[in-house]
This record gives sequence, C-alpha cells and structure tokens, in this order.
Amino acid sequence: MDLCRVLPLIGLALLPSPWLRGEVSFNRDVRPIMSDTCFQCHGPDSSSRMAGLRLDLRDAATKPAGSGKTPIVPGDPDRSEIVQRIFATNARVMPPKHAHKDLTGVQKETIRRWVAEGAKYEEHWAYQPVRRPEPPAQGHPVDAFIQARLRREGLSAAREADRRTLLRRVALDLTGLPPTPAEVDAFEKDRAPGAYERVVDRLLASPRFAEKQAQHWLDAVRYADTAGFHGDNPIPAWPYRDYVLRAFHQNKPFDQFTREQIAGDLLGGDNLEPHVASAYNRVTRMSAEGGVQDKEYLAKYAADRVRTASNVWLGSTMGCAECHDHKFDPFTARDFYAFKAFFADIEETGLVRDRGSDAWGVKILVPDEAQKRKRSELKALVEAAREALETQTTALAERQAAWERKTLAAAESGALAWKFQRPVGARALNGTVLDIYNDEPVTSMFDSGGSLVTETKPGNGMVIASGPNPDNDIYEVEIRPGAGRWTALCIETSPDESLPALRLARGSDRVIVTGVDVLAPGAVALDFATTNSTMPPREYPALAAIDGDPSTAWGVISHSENRQPALAVRFAQPLSTTADQVITVRIRQESEFRQAAIGRFRIALSSAAATWPGTVGAEKGLPDAVLKALAKPAAERSEAEKTTVRQHFQRAAPELDAYATHLARTEATLGLFEATLPEVIVTRATEPRETRILARGNWMDDSGEIVDPAVPAFLGKLNSTGRATRLDLANWLVSPENPLTARVQVNRWWRQFFGTGLAKVLDDFGSQGEAPSHPELLDWLAAEFQDGWDMKRIIRTIVTSHAYRQSSQPSPEAQAKDPDNRLLAYQNRFRVDAENVRDIILSVSGLLEERFGGPSVRPYQPEGYLAALNFPKRAYPTSRGADLYRRGVYTHWQRTFLHPNLLTFDASSREECTVNRVNSNTPLQALVLLNDPAYVEASRVFAERAVRDGGASPGQRIDWAFHQALGRAAKADERSVLSELYRKNRARFQAQPRLARELAQAGEAPLAANLDEVEVAAMTTVTRAILNLHETITRN
Amino acid sequence: MDLTLHRRAFLGKSAAGLGLVALNTLLKPALLSARAGGAVQPLHHPPRAKRVIFLYQAGGPSHLETFDPKPALAKMHGQPMPDSFTKGQQIAQLQGRPLVCFGPQYTFQRFGKSGQEVCELFPRIGGVADDLCIVRSMWTEQINHDPAHTLMNTGSIIAGRPSMGSWILYGLGAETEDLPGFVVLFSSGRGGQNQPIAARQWSAGMLPSRYQGVKFNSVGDPVLYIRNPDGVSGEIQKDSIDAINRLNRRAHEGLRDPEILTRVAQYEMAFRMQASVPELMDMSKEPARVLESYGATPGDGSFASNCLLARRLAERGVRFIQIYHRDWDHHAGVKKNIALKAEEVDRPTAALVNDLKERGMLDDTLVIWGGEFGRTPMSQGGDGRDHHIKGFTYVLAGGGIKPGMTYGATDELGYAAVENPVAVPDFHATMLHLLGIDHKRLTIKFQGLDVRLTGIAGRVVKDILA
Repeated sequence: MDLCRVLPLIGLALLPSPWLRGEVSFNRDVRPIMSDTCFQCHGPDSSSRMAGLRLDLRDAATKPAGSGKTPIVPGDPDRSEIVQRIFATNARVMPPKHAHKDLTGVQKETIRRWVAEGAKYEEHWAYQPVRRPEPPAQGHPVDAFIQARLRREGLSAAREADRRTLLRRVALDLTGLPPTPAEVDAFEKDRAPGAYERVVDRLLASPRFAEKQAQHWLDAVRYADTAGFHGDNPIPAWPYRDYVLRAFHQNKPFDQFTREQIAGDLLGGDNLEPHVASAYNRVTRMSAEGGVQDKEYLAKYAADRVRTASNVWLGSTMGCAECHDHKFDPFTARDFYAFKAFFADIEETGLVRDRGSDAWGVKILVPDEAQKRKRSELKALVEAAREALETQTTALAERQAAWERKTLAAAESGALAWKFQRPVGARALNGTVLDIYNDEPVTSMFDSGGSLVTETKPGNGMVIASGPNPDNDIYEVEIRPGAGRWTALCIETSPDESLPALRLARGSDRVIVTGVDVLAPGAVALDFATTNSTMPPREYPALAAIDGDPSTAWGVISHSENRQPALAVRFAQPLSTTADQVITVRIRQESEFRQAAIGRFRIALSSAAATWPGTVGAEKGLPDAVLKALAKPAAERSEAEKTTVRQHFQRAAPELDAYATHLARTEATLGLFEATLPEVIVTRATEPRETRILARGNWMDDSGEIVDPAVPAFLGKLNSTGRATRLDLANWLVSPENPLTARVQVNRWWRQFFGTGLAKVLDDFGSQGEAPSHPELLDWLAAEFQDGWDMKRIIRTIVTSHAYRQSSQPSPEAQAKDPDNRLLAYQNRFRVDAENVRDIILSVSGLLEERFGGPSVRPYQPEGYLAALNFPKRAYPTSRGADLYRRGVYTHWQRTFLHPNLLTFDASSREECTVNRVNSNTPLQALVLLNDPAYVEASRVFAERAVRDGGASPGQRIDWAFHQALGRAAKADERSVLSELYRKNRARFQAQPRLARELAQAGEAPLAANLDEVEVAAMTTVTRAILNLHETITRN
Repeated sequence: MDLTLHRRAFLGKSAAGLGLVALNTLLKPALLSARAGGAVQPLHHPPRAKRVIFLYQAGGPSHLETFDPKPALAKMHGQPMPDSFTKGQQIAQLQGRPLVCFGPQYTFQRFGKSGQEVCELFPRIGGVADDLCIVRSMWTEQINHDPAHTLMNTGSIIAGRPSMGSWILYGLGAETEDLPGFVVLFSSGRGGQNQPIAARQWSAGMLPSRYQGVKFNSVGDPVLYIRNPDGVSGEIQKDSIDAINRLNRRAHEGLRDPEILTRVAQYEMAFRMQASVPELMDMSKEPARVLESYGATPGDGSFASNCLLARRLAERGVRFIQIYHRDWDHHAGVKKNIALKAEEVDRPTAALVNDLKERGMLDDTLVIWGGEFGRTPMSQGGDGRDHHIKGFTYVLAGGGIKPGMTYGATDELGYAAVENPVAVPDFHATMLHLLGIDHKRLTIKFQGLDVRLTGIAGRVVKDILA
C-alpha cells in the first residue's frame, strides 16, 4: 500500500487542513482527539477525573497541577506536561497503555502544534449561537458555500445529473416512490426554465411526501403499534402517526409541531389535534409484565423521554448523564434529572395494563364534530337506560328478597344449570373439519394458575375443528336435546395449547362470531345475548351476534379474561322440543379477520327462566360469588356482596328484564359506535411526581436531592415563574436561545438528501461527534429554518441546489482526494430505506394502494414468525384486499418482531429513538426480494401488466417492464439477458404447466382474465429479476 | 490500486455512527468474503474457544432445584425468611406479600470424580459433571424477564445494543459462507409459561444487520424466505439469480460502485444458503444411536432436536448458536414443573456435551447453560418461586473452561451470591476472553461512546479458566 497517498486522504477526510495549510483549530482538530482519548479521565465528569486534571477548560489546563508541573503552557510545548507525556515512550505515556487509546503520530503532532500556536480553546461549535453567515457568493446559497470549499480544495462540482436520474432521485428522496415513465418523459421534454423547481413543488405537495418524511420522524420519536416489553401487545397509537403525516403534508411550522408533541395537552382550547400529538410522550415502551415494580418502570419511561427528546431536538446524548456527569459533554447528572422533571407530570403507572377498558392508561377517542354529537346522543341514551333500570330496581327492592330465595332454591336444585348437549352432527361449510367427541376422550392442555395442565376426559359434547383453516367459515352443529322446554342456548369455547391465537382461535389474534342462528328447523327468534366475559371489548358486544348485521360480531380479544369465554343467546319464546327433534346451531364466523374461528367448543341449553353465562361452567348455574352471597343472610353480607347480589338481581329478575335488556342494547350500540372512532394514548398532566437525582441511576436510592424542571444549565435558563412545564421546555427548544434544534434538524434533512449529514454523527453534536464539514452552511440553513420554521422551504432549498442535482459519478480527482465525498464534488448513491424498498416494488408492479393514513395494516408475514411471543399466544391476522398493498409506513410496527421485510432492510424496531439507520447489504435481503410472497405476487401482477399493456412480442414486453421499473430503456445486452431468461423459463413452464399455474396465481390480487398462464409465468420470472436489481432499490 | 481496499485499510474498524455512504463501504471487506475475518485482527490473545453454544433457559431456572443445594433452606422451610436477607431488596411478584422460606423440592447427589453436586432430577447432566464448571455465584440487575434477557444478551437494558452473538461475529468473523454465523433456535416447554423472547435478544443493534442472529424456525421455513416460491423450480431460481447477477455486474462495469458487487455476492450467498439450510435441517443421516442419545425426533422443534441441530451448526462453522428453552418461569408448581423441565433438558444437554467431546469439538466449543436470573428461596403461593436476581447458577463446559469444578457460592439460604460473585459483564468478559478477545478492546463508536458488550464493567473470571 502506498502510504504517501493514504496520508493526505486521512487528512482530508478525518482531520482536515492542518496538514495542508493554516492554523490548528481546537474545535476542528484538537477537540475530537482529546474527547476520544483524554476526556474520559480528564474531562467534565468529576467522579472519574484523574489527578484532578481537566483538559476541556483552558483555565484548568493551564494552571500548574499539584505536582508543580503545568499541563499546558501556551506557546511552549516543551514545558507543557501533556505534550511531554503524549510523546513519552516509557510507562509515563499518556493515554496509558491499558486504556487502548494510543495516539497516532499525526494526532500527537496536532496537539503539539496547537500548544505551540498558543493553545487557543474554542467554545464547542454546536453550543455557539446560530448566526446567519453571508453566503460567499451570489446564486443558490447552498452552492455558494459548497463551491467555495471545493474551490479551496482544488475540486469542482460534477455536472448536473441527466434528467431521468435527477427525477428518479428527487422523487425517491421526496416521496419514497419512483417516477412513472410518463413523468420521466414529461420532465425530459420540459425544457422551459423552472421545470425542475416545478417538479419539486409538485412532489412537496403530494401526500406521498408526508409519508416519506413521517418514516424518518417516526423512527426518531420511536412510534410503534405495540408496547415493546414482554407480551408486546398492541397499543392504540396510529392516530398519532396520522398526526405526523398531516403535519408534514400541511407543512406545520416546526415550532408548533414541537410544542404540540411535547405539550399539546397544555395548549388549551377545544382542538383535539394537539392532544393527539401529545401521544409523543406516551409511545415509550411500556411493560405489562406481572411483577413489574412501579417505581422502577416509571424511572425507565422517564429516562426514555430524556434520551428521546435530547436526541430528537438537541442531538445530544443526555442519556449518558443518568448515572454520572457526562464524560465528554457539559451535561451533568443534575441536568439529566432536571430535564426528566419536565415529564414528571405525565399521568401514568409503571405497570401498565394491556387489556380491558383501562388498558394503556390515559387515552382518548378522536371523533369529528358529527361523531362527537352522535356519541353524546348515544351516551345520553345509555345514561337514561341506566337510570331507568336503577329507578326500577329501587322501586322493586322489596321483591328482591323473594327473588333471592327463589333463585337460591333453584340453584341448589340444579334447575339453573346449563345442560351440555351431545351433538349428533357437525359440519363446516368452507372446509374446516369438525369432529364430535362425546364419550371419546379429549386431551386438553391449558394453563391453570401458571402451570400447564394436561387433562384427558370424555369430550361430553366437545366439537373440535381441524384440517383446512379457511379465512372464514360457518359451523353447523346439530343437537338432539330430547323433549323439553328451553329458554337459552350457549356456545362455550375451550382452550387448548395447540390453538395459535389466545389458545382459543385457529388463527388471527382473536375469536369472532359474526352471527348465531338457531334452527328448529325453522329459525328461532333470539331476543337477547350476553357473555361471561369480565371485560367484554366494546367492539364485540354479545348482542352483535344476533343483530343480523354481518359487519358486527361477538368476539374475544384479550387473554386470560376468562378461560372459557362463552356466548349465550336467549330465545324470544321458550322453545319446546319433542323427543327426537333436532336443533341446528349455525355459528357464522365471517369477519374481516382471517381464521378467527373457534377451535374447540361445546353447546349447552338452559331451561331456566334467566340463567346467564358467567354461570356457564358454574356447577349450580350461578356464579360462585353470587351463590356465596345469596347463601348468607342479607344482614351479614359485605358491601361488595350486596352489590354482587343486586347486580345479579338486575340481570336476572324477570321484572327488570326489559330495563336490563334495554340498557345492554344502548351500551352495545354506543360501544360499536365508539369502536369506529380512532383511539389514541395521550398525555394528561397531573400533580408532578417528585424527581430526585438518582445516584448511579439507582431508582431504589431515595437519598438524592430533589430537582425542579430545568434545561441543561450550560445552555441557559428558563424565565418561567413557578415550576417550569413541558410547554416551557418546548418553547425553549424552538427559541433562538437554544443553538441546537435547528442545526440538528437541518442536518438530518441533509443526510436524507446526501446520505451523510454535514455533521456526520447525527445523534451526537457533542465533542464525541464530528464537527460539520461546512459549518457556515449548516449555520446558514439553521438560521434559515429558525426564520419561520418552514419545513418544506428548507427541503426545497436543499434539493434545488446544484450540489443536490449534480451527478453521482465522481471524477477521478474527487474520488482520490475526498473518498468519503464530504466536500460533495458529486452526489452520493445509496440503497433506499426499508419501507421504500417495499413501496417501489408495489408501485412499479401496479399494486400500490395510495390511501393516506388510517389504522396500521398487516401485509403477508411468514407463518410462525410470532411463535416466540406469548401472553397471549399470538397468530398474525393478515390484512385483506387493498390493505395488503399499502406503503411500508403503514405496516403494523410490532416492536419485538418487526415485519421481516422491513427488519431485513434495516428498519428500526423503534424500541428506542433512532435517527441514523444503518444501511446494510445482506444475503437475507436477497432472500426477501426473491422469495417473499408479497414480492412474488408483485412480480406476477407486474408481468400481467406487461403481457396486457407491454406490446405484442416478448421483446416489447421486456422493454416495457424494464422501462416501467427503472425509467430508462434497457440496453441491448440487458435485454438479451432478460430475453434469454424468458425463453428458457417459458420452455420450462410449457413442459410443466403445473409450475406455470402456481406462479401465475401467486398472491391474493385478482388474476387478470384471459391471459395465458405460461406467458404470465415466464414474464413473471423476468419482472422478478428486474425488481431484484440493485438499481431498482438504489437512489442514484 | 483498488480504492475500496485503500479505504478499508485506513478506516479500519470504526463502523458505526457514519453516514450511509461511508458505512456501506466499510462493510465491504466482511461482506465480500465472509471468511475474511472480523474486526479483531489479530486476536488479542490466543483463543481457547472458536465458537459458543448457549443453551439459554428463559424464564429463570431455579438454582435451588438444579445446581445449588441448600440444606439449610430445607430446615427453614415454612418459616419466615429472615429480614436480614431481604430488607431493602428488589422483589417482583412477591411485592407486599409475606416472605416465607421454601425448601428445595428435590435432593442433590454427588457425581463423577469431581463429586460435583447436581439435583437428582438431572442424572445425565450429572453424568458429565467432570466436564462441567458450575458457577453458583451469578447475579444480575434486572428482575423482570424482558429487561433481564436484554441485559444478559446485550449487556444493557437500553434497546438497540448488539447482542453477544453479534459482537462475537463482528469481532471474529464467520467460518462459513453457506450459513449465517449467528443462529438462534427456539423450543417451547410443556409447562404453561413459555416466555416471549423479543428479536432484540439477537439483534445486531447499531452494528450492521449482517451480524444479526438468524432465527431458525421449527414451523414453516427453517429460515425466513429460504424456500423457492411456488412455481419456481430450482433451475428457474438458479437462472434467475444468474440473470440478476449478470445485470448487476454489468451495472458495476459502468458505475464502478463496489456496493453493487456486494449485492452480487449476497445473491450468491443466498443461493448457497438455499441449498445448505435444507441439508443442515435434514437429520435423516444421523444414526439412530445419536438421535436416541439426544432424545431427538427430527422436526419436532424440541430442545433435544435443537441441541442436535446445534452440534450440526457448530460442525458447519457457525460461530454463535443460541438455543432458547422458553419455559422456566415457575411462579407456581416448582416441584412438578422442574421435573418436567428435567425431562426436556437433562438428556439432550448431556448428549450435546458428550457428542462434542466424541468429535473432539468440546475443546474449542464453549457450552453455556443458564437463564436471565434465578428464583427466590421464598415461596410464592405455597408451591412456586418468584424471580430472583441476587444469586443464581450458570453451568459452563469446554472451550477453555476448567472442567469438574464448582465456583462461587450463594449464602446458606441460596439468596445472595456471597463467594466470588460473577456479574453479567464478568460473564461476558470471560466468554470473550476465551474467544481471544479483550472485552475492553471490542468496541464500536455510537453516540460518541466506545460501546462495549461489557459497558464500563467486566472482569475476566480467571479462576475458572483451564
């Protein structure tokens, strides 16, 4: 290797200028060396400081030390102890050998020269106020800065990229989607001035722009759709994602965007939007694991908020100061806890419930105006119904005692007990196999008090589903109850370890029954339905199973609410049966969720006047608690027992039936309506919790000092009266007093458009980060941004520069002098982000569904991918129809098991704030692009289009497909590679039509009519190859 | 002169924290040739182990019914746990409950020449006692499963740090070009509390995803997307990859972008994996004697099958193999549940050690058995044990570990590690040491820090090195 050639490169890339010319600069040249190799022991953290020596402050470093020696004597390296020590060759050398931080010769010489030149310290660049430097030339300000620097280094910018490349680049960068061939043609033809700017404006105005920007922002604010710890259950968060989408689409000023997210709940007013924005504080990971200690997890959530906010807005690693003062930057542990104190007013618990109506703590529904009105009307109806029931209950109070006696007697005689039926027939209409186990033994494995129990006993009427697992099915079970008079029928589910979803359903993540019919043989009128669930989800009320509406259903969505969830339906009139009469029970399972069908169940009948689940499985036909309370004389019952009895009286007394039924109906209607409204966790302020400085971050240590909210001391002080709030924090973050927010944010945009930030380390603007390659440009952009916080304007400014528009093909000189291209003599080339890999493929194939916003979706995912999840056991409810083809940004973000086609392309799991995804290139990526059914389907649909629209001959079709995907014509040799692939495979498919059929039918997208399967299959291998090309997923 | 090589040479190992462009280029050396080795070149000292098989017992095995006999606790059974042990200590589900001693549910026996004591339920593990080093003085800081797993695997509770397997693969590089260098396998137990294990536990964190563990599944495709799509035969797949690579190579001729050549190499490796994974999973050539010794039925996804698979992976050059058994969280029914676990793990664990030994691989394979924490000497609900962090047991074998020794001890009630306590970072430091790596020198820059597996701690436990 030619060292002489390498050294200047190092100088330029990592250690600019001193070896080329000029004075050594502390910030640019010395601070990075010292930070990395000296500050650990001689920096801001007093607890780890050695020999009392501190090198980050000039006053301290130039004072004689206890030894009498002076660390730094400005202008006199020979008398400066640090210079002597770094050049030492014996055991006195600094940094010491055991630190493994040996200085290079270049680094030593840099420090020596800096001391010789007077040891001039500079304040750290990122903490200096943003000023607005004058661009050094006329024209585009960005180019003025970039080109001035290039000229100094003897380089020049590349020419503008060709129009096709440029359009593809700017479309991918701004929208995450490639341009259509028509757009490429139009742009190539539009030679009028301002053509490019018009394209930029069109892209910025597109909702697709917001989707692309949201990707980046959602990584930073660690937005996801699940809780992230342990059971990792879904959280209601997507309306916040939509808030972010709208903010970018509407170009919300960034200062307002900041205020709404950190303190939207404190802004006042009726508008719900800022409240939705405040979900920012709540989308931390949350734990519902049993045994979680509140205090410990409150400390974890709070620390997450400090790490996230300090990274997102300050580009700083304040998280490092949780246990001790920061090693490299002036953040003290007190700063960390004072910052944390801003968030101490957020209402929350450490242990968060993951099911039931109070799951995930504070949350709100987000209705529009009309929905708001309707909701209050429905609520009023519920209130009226409840009041009527209460009034009537009180009026009938004297009858309660008689009812109690009668009920107790009936229970004790067994008259209330459900009679489980032994079916005489069972079938499913869509292919599920239903087997009846009467005397035959059934082995069940289920959880009992934390242990798995295996039990084998006669099925006694158990119906077990097996075999094919269609998305929807209708079960029909025939029972022959014998002569009798029946009032109600019950379907009781039964858990088994073999069932993938909640151990109850055959798939999906829930059980859903859209309808129940009882045929004897004519349809029996049903007038009421209820369930034994202790926390019935509002979207699945029991009554929905008999409302005749196939879009509503009874369902079970959470685990262990009841081991055997059951649905009971009441006959409008008692049903009398003869000895041989057969009753058919039809269980409709036709919801939008796939495979949400019951795995195991039994059917029971009741002949009691009023017996309800909650009572199913209870031997006497009454819940144990009710039975126990009833058995006691009224005077001896506790308050809780009195309530239990009274509630059961309300549910079961015939005199109250009309009122109780009416209340249940109004509640079901309200619940179903509310379930249609977006719901989101939000911030609500409460009395601030005490915040103490925790020694070494130990949450059990209560001895630390109590601190009030404050911004990091070295950055300034808030002028708030009284305790500072999150709103004060937000205002300060976007105030001119804070030098970081604008710099940090424009730098992150720069990275989006050039692949590297002006300051390369996006999440550390401290001394361990890297000084910007173009400090004046960074400051100019920051100043420009602070002037109105106009997001689209800054982005427009960047992408209209020549620096952005230039070719990515380096000149040999540029490549030799500046191999990392920090000076931007040419554009960079990189693979697009994970979401956009998906977006490009769907878009090119024609499958992309461009709907803006809405609940997250679940594209195809390999079977068993969630097998290592539990609590509850999880199956994956794959979306249907158009929801299969939405952009990556809408994919259900399962923190502990992110969808593999995103994870494989380096998407962040969003367990933690991420602003700098790695960009890797792995064999697993090849497997995804080749074999993921979503992409095989996209290739198939793309091929169908090629056959239909691409021309008459295979050659034309190949050209057409190539042009669609890459926006350019295939070269002759490219065409011949693809033609050869086509020819060989076409012959294979002709010989093996079964293969052709399989490939031509890949995926669920409707098949194009009247196309030859062999032709589609052969062309699919071509489109698949095109969609796998490096160029397809690369932004050039 | 090839510029990409140039850049690799002087930019060296500082991979993270760079922008897209630079990072891509940095990754290249490892990508272009998986055998080319890792970031630690040369190794910091001669290695004793080349690979690791970590039999991870998730949920928190009771040390008191496996490897840490406590007769004194048996005597205290049913009596209040002395306050002097528990005062001011962290408690999980027993928060606010009375703390009552719960005696060991089984007796222990001495095994082998070394006379090491192992619970009677694990006679086969006892049978290899002379190969084992039983460390009875582990302790950790996290009392709930998810963070405790994260600490054990990544050395940190903050998500996004590389797991130990990723660190090791990054440090040492791979020995195979046909399989991933870091493989994770799962099995469920027949108890009721199979633990959720997040993908974070084998994540590469801020390291490039190339170093991420690859999860092999027992249902569906063993590796995600490893199977050709329906309608795509082997020859169609081969010709398709050929065409893709020809077109990509052609693009490289024009652009000279080394990233394109990396892409070509990855497609080649993907194709090789499509052949080597099925070959790996096909156990039909394993002699019946071997299957029987593990108690493995191929394809059942059991811990036993996974142990056998681990040996096959080790033979094929996989660097880090982690097998999760997910069912050790015995808040209730310790007695019954431990017996069930013993049925599931005793035989295959011992078989793996023996099998490696017979093949001469135990010398350079470090085998680790343990979970994220232990269990309380106090009863939960009369027959269970709660999470416990102050003392628990790890068992090590092979790869430069001193065989036939017991190291460290908990107090007489099995509560706290009192003799030679080993913290999680100490365990990590020791593991890296055996692999030839100084844990203080395996670092990457992230958010301004020299991030290490061992954080700012870690001490090699020299006493247990052979």
